[in-house]
Amino acid sequence: MADKFGILAKFDTPADIMHAAEKVRDAGFKRWDVITPFPIHGMDGAMGLKRSWVPRFTIVGGTTGFITGMSMIFFTNAFDYKILIGGKPLFSPYFAFPVSYELTILFSAFASIIGMFILNKLPMHYHSALKTEKVAEMSDDKFFLYIESEDPQYDDVKTRSFIEGLHPVEVSDMEK
Amino acid sequence: MAGASSHSQEVRPAILDEVNPVDIPRQACVDNNRSFNWITEKICGIIEEKTPTWWWVCFIIACATASFTFIGLGYLVVTGVGVWGLANPVNWGWAIVNFVFWIGIGHAGTLISAILCLLRQKWRTSINRAAEAMTIFAVVCAGLFPVFHVGRVWFALYPGYLFPFPNANGIWPNFRSALLWDVFAVSTYGTVSVLFWYIGLIPDFATVRDRAKTKFRKIAYGIVAMGWRGSNRHWSNYEMLYLILAGLSTPLVLSVHTIVSFDFAISLVPGWHTTIFPPYFVAGAIFSGFGMVITLMLPLRAIYGLQDLITQYHIDCMTKIILATGTMVGYAYGMEFFIAAYGANDFEIFAFVNRAFGNYAWAYWIMISCNVISPQFFWFKSIRENTTLVWVISLFVNVGMWFERFVITVTSLSRDFLPSSWGYYSPTVVDIFTYLGTFGLFSVLFLLFLRFVPLMAMAEIKAVTPQADPHHAHTHKAGSGDYVNN
Amino acid sequence: MSAERDASLPNPTKWLLIGAVGLIISFIGMFVDPRMASFCYLIGMIFTTSITIGMLFLVMIHHIFDAYWSTVIRRQAENFLAALPWMAVLFIPLFLITYLYKQDTLWIWMDLDHELHGHGTVGTDPLYLKKTWWLSETFFWIRAVVCFLAWIYFARTFRRNSFSQDEDGSAEHTYSSRKHAAGGLIVVALTWSMAGFDWIMSLEYHWFSTMFGVWFFANSMRAALAVLVLVAAFLVAKGPLKGIFNTKHLHDLSTLCFAFTVFWAYISFSQYFLIWNGNIPEETFWYNFREEGMWYGVSMFLIFGHFLFPFLFMLQFPLKTKYPAMVFMACWILFMQLFDLIFNILPSLKVHGHTAQLFHQPLGFLWLAASVLGGIGVLLWAYWTSYYKVKIIPIRDPRIGECLNHNH
Repeated sequence: MADKFGILAKFDTPADIMHAAEKVRDAGFKRWDVITPFPIHGMDGAMGLKRSWVPRFTIVGGTTGFITGMSMIFFTNAFDYKILIGGKPLFSPYFAFPVSYELTILFSAFASIIGMFILNKLPMHYHSALKTEKVAEMSDDKFFLYIESEDPQYDDVKTRSFIEGLHPVEVSDMEK
Repeated sequence: MAGASSHSQEVRPAILDEVNPVDIPRQACVDNNRSFNWITEKICGIIEEKTPTWWWVCFIIACATASFTFIGLGYLVVTGVGVWGLANPVNWGWAIVNFVFWIGIGHAGTLISAILCLLRQKWRTSINRAAEAMTIFAVVCAGLFPVFHVGRVWFALYPGYLFPFPNANGIWPNFRSALLWDVFAVSTYGTVSVLFWYIGLIPDFATVRDRAKTKFRKIAYGIVAMGWRGSNRHWSNYEMLYLILAGLSTPLVLSVHTIVSFDFAISLVPGWHTTIFPPYFVAGAIFSGFGMVITLMLPLRAIYGLQDLITQYHIDCMTKIILATGTMVGYAYGMEFFIAAYGANDFEIFAFVNRAFGNYAWAYWIMISCNVISPQFFWFKSIRENTTLVWVISLFVNVGMWFERFVITVTSLSRDFLPSSWGYYSPTVVDIFTYLGTFGLFSVLFLLFLRFVPLMAMAEIKAVTPQADPHHAHTHKAGSGDYVNN
Repeated sequence: MSAERDASLPNPTKWLLIGAVGLIISFIGMFVDPRMASFCYLIGMIFTTSITIGMLFLVMIHHIFDAYWSTVIRRQAENFLAALPWMAVLFIPLFLITYLYKQDTLWIWMDLDHELHGHGTVGTDPLYLKKTWWLSETFFWIRAVVCFLAWIYFARTFRRNSFSQDEDGSAEHTYSSRKHAAGGLIVVALTWSMAGFDWIMSLEYHWFSTMFGVWFFANSMRAALAVLVLVAAFLVAKGPLKGIFNTKHLHDLSTLCFAFTVFWAYISFSQYFLIWNGNIPEETFWYNFREEGMWYGVSMFLIFGHFLFPFLFMLQFPLKTKYPAMVFMACWILFMQLFDLIFNILPSLKVHGHTAQLFHQPLGFLWLAASVLGGIGVLLWAYWTSYYKVKIIPIRDPRIGECLNHNH
């Protein structure tokens, strides 16, 4: 079954999908996911996900922004073309602070957003989940769980019966 | 999770058995137990229905009003900055007043989306989308004034009035000037606000895409939804990003009005040079912004029948914030007066006495009555529950905050150190029409937003309903709490 | 009433004794080295008062927001409020020293014959003459009394409401606290700013800054939050709050510490920056004194130690959820908080026209340590006395259930 992406199960409530996810996690599956219309509190733990890596991007962006600001101001006003205005020093971290601060935030925001897109591998306009006819429910009021056929533990029959054992309201195959 | 499991192994403290909370129920963020599907239908319905007639009427009026601004600015560009009422000694007039006014309006949007997110105030979810849109459009209106006040706008970009490029003599912009800090602050603010807004929109765009009936809508919303599919692995990073953006926007929004206040406070003009300006401006900005949020949201609530999503609880919260920030602004007015008297600087004392009793006393007392007195009505529950009165007071707040900036800018300049150059500032027709037009521009943008973008953050509202809590369903599933669809 | 005392918890009397020793040394200091010792006493007294006022702000903010996660720790803040009347008692020696020793011991403007270095006396100083309407001795002491009365009134109200609710479980107490919190925030904000102006700013009565009240507020909040972290960690380690106060609560408390670190830096930077940039002698002189001798080092230490280090430390999520790390940070903040007060107060003491340098008077360290110890002793005595009289958490509070379930 090369054209089968995985098995999709539908649940009605956040509690049901949460318990199902805990069981899938404990069964040791690797390539599986939960699809919900909104983030469910505690689902990361139920899926066994680690804390997100996005903050690391933020730190890198922020540091770059601050250094950029300070060095830009030093370069332009105290090095490349020195101008003496208002009896102020050519360079001082005090007056350079507001601009460097803004750049810190600007760069951090861009870095975090880029980080999120990289970690999530977005934009990805083609995905098996988007192809099912249940897609409108996915972003409305139903909760889904799927296990991919690429998972090392995957077995057409056993995985299907395992999923049915999670008491979903509906089980279906996903096309690649 | 690890914390929860280790908990159960410990000995349970005896005091926990005595715990018996008094019943003061929390007010729900969504009234009438609306289901997830009801929320989707309600909000997507607004942009999926046929364009209503009132929308077209408003849109045409807004476009006509916005044309005032463009005519005014066009006239300024072809004629010169002299068409504005600026003249010695008042060389900062309506342009900066309008700029600060609009920037301030924007602050409530960021406050709602960022600070209230960090404070875990769930009620923010119904209003944050519209408030953030308001922020962006307000920044657009604000930005027009500093860009156009240079007259020859094409120089704004190159050589660097506004951006760090050297001019023909190789001289760079002066980074000791607060006006250049403003450029960085406002452009960062605009950019980050747009990004934050857009990130919040991605899951909702996905919902609209999945419901789309026509090919065009599918593709258009599909592109902006970035292929979002609601995967929890994505939500995990997404929520972290959202929290970080909230964490970044909070110091950002504080810094923007701080830097705007530096425009005044780093000078030596009496009435401007005072150390409380940064937090005072920030409080004022949030105050005016919430005024505008109420001015916009109450009519929308009535038109679209959103009473279940913008409940009395939301109105209560917003009016209380107006009351709190209005009182903070009052504290700052008081401090300025006190320190002027205490500081024993004759010029400083004169500046404040002149504000209250001098040539612009009328503006000063409009400011005091609108900003300090009118919000005090919100102490009374009966007034908070009267939607019409709340709306009227919110208009007063908007008016008052415009006058605050007018008072600060103009009174100090019109009576500076040298009595021989004292003067009285009056705006010209061009000033007035350019300013009035910005309300049209703002409305045009806001009306477009109403038509094409989900008005409320559906995913976030769903997440704060009681049925979204995975622990909630156990106890209430079987009971009467079945969630109604319509 | 959880009257039986756990042997592992401190004995209030012990703290009273420690406090008494500190205070006695301070009073001896006032005979040996009156001006230095009085300034140090003022620092110690403001340090402890700022902790209690910070607690008062925290309780009011809790009520006004209808917050839930802080319910579990609110009772400890209320216990600290028991110390407010004693803070008023600690203020009395300042009055006594002024009239028993010399009127210009602390606030030089109280003595019209005080020599201003090279500018005649206070009585002939035109700036003073313009300020007599505010800087009048009688008015000054009346203001102090009014401030303390207002604080004690609100402290008692919140304590009474909270403790009575444990007994009768009436919702009325919560409503009463909310109303008092709304009015109290206005009153305490005004009185606390006024106290800051009077007690600290008027030490150098030429100087003025509209921001000063906000700085004083930020300062008290940081102190109170740090103390709450320490108390929570102590009570969890010793048992009473174990299994009640969880790491999620700690994280929230630490996040508030972090937020007020940033707020303090924002206020302090804005005040310094506007004065630096304006560069008018009538304002800058205050900071100039604070660049003389050791004070330059202290100011740098404040920038890095009171802002940058706590900021970078608490920026890290894992550290905010670990007790040892946060106990360290809270001690650090409290220590720096003391430095911040010293920096704002002590340079106003002039020795032969120059700012006092702590290192030139080694005994100064003793007076400082004694007065801080004295204040802390009294504070903790009042705290533990109140602690044993009431339950460890407000068991009938409407949000306590929600708060205890706050654990993902």
